[in-house]
Amino acid sequence: MDEDKNLVNRAILGEKEAFEMIIQKYQQPLLNYIGRMVGERELALDFTQEVFIKIYSSLRSYKPQFKFSTWLYRIASNTIIDYWRKKKIDAFSLDQQKNQDKDLPPIQVQANEQPLVRKFEISQLREKIERALDKIPASLREVFIWRHINELSYEEIAEIKGLPTGTIKNRVFQAKEMIRNLLEDKP
Amino acid sequence: MKCLSIEQIYLYIEKELSPSENKDVESHLRVCSICQKALEERKLLSQAAESLRLWDAPPDFTQQVMARIFPPKVSLPAWLGTLAAGFASMVLCFFILTLVTGQNLRSLLLSFTEAVFDFLKYLVPLFVKVLKLASLLVIFFQRFAEFLLKGLTLLTSIISTELQIIIISTTIILIISSIYALRRKLAFGEKT
Repeated sequence: MDEDKNLVNRAILGEKEAFEMIIQKYQQPLLNYIGRMVGERELALDFTQEVFIKIYSSLRSYKPQFKFSTWLYRIASNTIIDYWRKKKIDAFSLDQQKNQDKDLPPIQVQANEQPLVRKFEISQLREKIERALDKIPASLREVFIWRHINELSYEEIAEIKGLPTGTIKNRVFQAKEMIRNLLEDKP
Repeated sequence: MKCLSIEQIYLYIEKELSPSENKDVESHLRVCSICQKALEERKLLSQAAESLRLWDAPPDFTQQVMARIFPPKVSLPAWLGTLAAGFASMVLCFFILTLVTGQNLRSLLLSFTEAVFDFLKYLVPLFVKVLKLASLLVIFFQRFAEFLLKGLTLLTSIISTELQIIIISTTIILIISSIYALRRKLAFGEKT
């Protein structure tokens, strides 16, 4: 964490190598997040470059009391929202979920629950999860990726989104249940 | 105790429950096969989700980003620099002249144009004279060549062929020796 802040300070002072180190450290996590949000590798690479350029140009506005990684993911998330707005893709708006998080009744385990996951080998399961990820709302997909691919804590995700931790946990569980229910679907 | 909620199961898997909540869940799991199966399902799902394939960036990704942030400087051709410097000097001269003479830029430009035209008027007769001189020189060299040719023709008709060969060979040797000597004389700083 302090290492990131040190790199940011050095990059602000004009040390190019420091920013190169930031890129090297975050290129893969950022590409995995953006890639699974937009779906295409080439587009994801362009977006990731765009995000790093935005980060460089706004380094001075970074507040050290926050984690650098959460600030970086927030910029990436906003870049994707802007892109979808420009493209008029509003079917799975990332903000859409806000009013749907409140007062969700707890889902109980059902006695007649079908064993969906155990039917598959782990490698098959991975492929099916990848396919199912594309079908769930972006607001749920985003938190799922952060939690399970980028391995961020619920608190970190809450900081990125500016939402309560409980809401984030709820979204991650919803995402997983939705994916689980999609496992039966034919490709 | 009623069956666990899906949220409780996920929190249990992720070790996000408090110690007392954890204890309650474990005691329920010991007696409820439905929740046990549900837990196994979610464990597998979480395990698969955490081992999804990672996308790799191309090896030159960092360089690509850095090149977009810091584009390489393109150096201007030298002639363009000279031209720009000349133009800048001209503008500067105009500016200084407006300050010194107190005239406005328009009248200054007019007087500059007039001066250029006057200079060209003076230059045209000079150019005509140069052309006349050049044509005279051409005529002179033409006459000289004709004279030389006549002289040589006369000379070859008088002297024998052997003598002609000797004269020509001596002249060639003399010319080559002079060029060589001149070259050595002028070769300053060359290694001997």
